[in-house]
Amino acid sequence: MKPPRPPEILSLDAVPGESLGVPNGEARRALGRDPFASDPVSDPFVDRLAELRGTATPPLPEPTPPKTAPPEAREPESREPEPDSLRDSGRESERESERAWTRTPRIDEIELPLPSGFAERLLDDDVRRRLAALTHMAEGGAPYDRFGFSPAAAQTAFPLFHALYRAYFRVRSEGHERVPVEGPAVLAANHGGLLPFDGAMTVVDVLLHTDPPRLARAVVDRWAGTLPWVNVFFARMGQVVGTRENVMDLLDDGQLVLVFPEGMDGVRKNVTQRYRLQRFHVGFVEAALRAQAPIVPMAVVGSDDQAPILFDLSELARRFRVPFFPVTPTFPWLGPLGLLPYPVSYRIVYGEPLHFHEKFGPDAADDPQLVRYLANQVRRDIQLLLDRNR
Amino acid sequence: MSASTALRNVLVTHGDEPIGRRVVKALLHDPQVGKVFALGEGAVPRAFDHFVAESPPRFVYARVDLAKHRSCVDFFHSGRFREAEIDTVVHVPGHAARGTGRPGIAGVPARTAEARLVLHHALETASVKSLIALGSAFVYRLAPGNANRLSEASELNLDPGVPSEIRSWIDCDMIFHGEVGADRLRVALLRVPTVVTSGGYVYWNPILSGPPGLRARPIGFDPLCALISDKDVAKATQAALHSERSGVFNVAGYESVPLSVVGSWTGRPGLPVPGPALGLLSAVAGWLGRGASLSGVGGTELRFGFTLDTRRAARELGFRPHYRVGLARAGDGRLRLETSPA
Repeated sequence: MKPPRPPEILSLDAVPGESLGVPNGEARRALGRDPFASDPVSDPFVDRLAELRGTATPPLPEPTPPKTAPPEAREPESREPEPDSLRDSGRESERESERAWTRTPRIDEIELPLPSGFAERLLDDDVRRRLAALTHMAEGGAPYDRFGFSPAAAQTAFPLFHALYRAYFRVRSEGHERVPVEGPAVLAANHGGLLPFDGAMTVVDVLLHTDPPRLARAVVDRWAGTLPWVNVFFARMGQVVGTRENVMDLLDDGQLVLVFPEGMDGVRKNVTQRYRLQRFHVGFVEAALRAQAPIVPMAVVGSDDQAPILFDLSELARRFRVPFFPVTPTFPWLGPLGLLPYPVSYRIVYGEPLHFHEKFGPDAADDPQLVRYLANQVRRDIQLLLDRNR
Repeated sequence: MSASTALRNVLVTHGDEPIGRRVVKALLHDPQVGKVFALGEGAVPRAFDHFVAESPPRFVYARVDLAKHRSCVDFFHSGRFREAEIDTVVHVPGHAARGTGRPGIAGVPARTAEARLVLHHALETASVKSLIALGSAFVYRLAPGNANRLSEASELNLDPGVPSEIRSWIDCDMIFHGEVGADRLRVALLRVPTVVTSGGYVYWNPILSGPPGLRARPIGFDPLCALISDKDVAKATQAALHSERSGVFNVAGYESVPLSVVGSWTGRPGLPVPGPALGLLSAVAGWLGRGASLSGVGGTELRFGFTLDTRRAARELGFRPHYRVGLARAGDGRLRLETSPA
C-alpha cells in the first residue's frame, strides 16, 4: 500500500514567504486564475477546500447583480442578513445590522449652502453641494459621528485638499464609475509616499466623482492613533484606526472603506521597490466577505514618487520608537520640511469590483487559506493596474 | 396567574444616589412593577416623599452599607426583605469617590465588595430570579485612536497597570459576568459609558466625575466620549427588567463628543499639558488633595476614546435611547447641559 502523499506547498506569484497547502492536489499556480471564470460549482479550488473541510461542496449563494445605477428610492432601508452571516468564529452573533445604511443625498437633492468662509467661496457650486452632503454622514445631524468624524471640520479643511488635488498633484481619475453608488464596499489601493497624501487624494477623488457623494473612510495604522494632533485630525476627517470592530461597523453601516493592505510596509519601501506591492494584510478580505461587500482594487500612481526613500535607518527608528526612519533626497536634511511631497502628478485608477462574497459566501471568512488566496487576487489586480498605468 | 402576582418587586441598590434615584423613579412609574425596595446609605431622599406617603405603600427604603458583610447579612435575612418578596435585584454601583476611596472588605474597593455581596445574596435568596447590574464601559481595552467601536465581545483591559478606579469596574464586571448563563439566576449586565444629567453632572467617568474644575489632559489628544443620559440608563434598566434575556449589553445614548466638549459642557474644561508633565501634575494635584480622579487615571483613558456598538441591546432588550444630550439656555439665561426627549 502506497503511503499518502505529503501535502504540496504551492508558492504564490512573487510573494515570498506565503504558501498555500493543498493536499493531494497537483501543483498549480494559485494566482493567475480568475475565480469567476468558470462555473462555481465545478471550481476545483472550491472542491479542494470542501475536501479540506471534509464536507461536500457548500451550496453557493445566488449572486446579486452589482448596483451601478443611482437608487430610485431614497428612503433608508435596513439590510436583513442571512442566517449564515451571523456566525463569527465562535464569537457572539453580532453581524446583524439593524441600522439603516448611512447615506448622503444625491447632488440634485442638495440645497446649495451659503459659503461659510473665503476658502469655500473659491469652490464651485458642485463641490460645495458635495461638501454639504457630508453633514448627512453623522446620525441625526450630530456634530460628530461615532468615529469622531466632524462634517464641519471636514468642510473647513476640504478647500486646502481640493487645491492640492487640482493644482499640486494634478490628479487624473479613471474608472470612478466602478465605485458602488450605495452599500458597503472596500477600496483597496497601493500605498506609498512618506505622508499619506495618496489616501487624502483618493478621499477627495471619491467625493468629487460619486453621486450621491460618498466619503471614503480610510483605515489608518494604529501607530497614527498614538500621534498627538494627528490622531484627532485623522478622526475629524473621517478616518478610522484599523481594528476589526471599526471596519466591520463601517461596512455593516453600508459605508465605503478605503484600505491600504500593504500597511506600513508600503510606506517604508525604498525607491528600488517603487510600485512593487509588498506583502498584503488580509483582514480587509475577511471583513468584506463577512459584510458581503465588493472589493474595488485601485491604483494610485504618483504616490511612490512623491518622496522616494533611499534607505531606512532602522536603528534610529528603534531609538525614536517610530516604525521607520527614512532617508530621502530632502529628509532629514531639510528638517520636517523635507517630509513634504514633491509636486508629482497623480493618477488614480479604479479596477473592476471583485464580488468575492457572491462566490464564496460569508462563511469563507473563516477559512484563512481562502482569505489569503483572495487577498492575493486583489493584490494581483492592483499590481496589474499599476503596471498598466505607470 | 393573576395580574397582581405578575407585578415585579424590585430591589434597587444605591437608591439614594442620582442614578439610583432615577432608576427608582422610573420603576415606580412602571405599571408592571409592584414594590420597589431602595437601599441607600443616607436618609430617604426627598424626591421619594410622595411615594413614601402612598397607601398601600409601594416604596420601601432601608439604610444599608452594602460593602459591609454584617450589614448585608442583617438586611437580606430581615423580615422586611422577606415580606417584600423581591424577585429582581437592580444593582446600581456607587459613585467614583465612594467606589475606590473607601476600603470595603480586606482592602477591596467598596464597589467590588458591594458587587460580590449583592450577587452572593441574590443567589442565596430563593425568591430572586433576576439580577440586573449596571457596569461601566471603561472596562474595555482601548486600541490607539481617537475613537474605537467596541462591542460586547471586545477585549477587557486586564493589564496589571490599570488604574484602581477602572480596576474596580473590571472586577465588578467579571463578578457579574461569571454568573451570566447560570440556571439559578438571570443576570443582565449593562455596560454604560459616561452618564450625564441635566445641569451638567457627570458620573462614572474616570476623568470627569467629581466636582467641576480644570482637568489636565495630554496635549494633542481629545478622545471621543460616548454619553448617555441618566434617564436613558433608567430606560435601559427597565428594558432589561422586562426582557428575559441574560448576558452583557452595551447601552449608550445618541451623542458621542470629544472629551474637551463634554468638559466645557459640564464645567470641567481641559487643560492641555505635555504628556510627560501630566504625571508630575497629577502627583502634585493628588498631594494637594485636588485631583483624586486625575491622579488615579492612566494615560490611555486620556488619549484614546471609544463608542459603543449597542445593536445587541436594541435587538435583545429592545432598548433604544430616548434622550438627547446638548446645551440649552436655562432660565437664568446661561447655557447648560440638558437632556431632552429625542
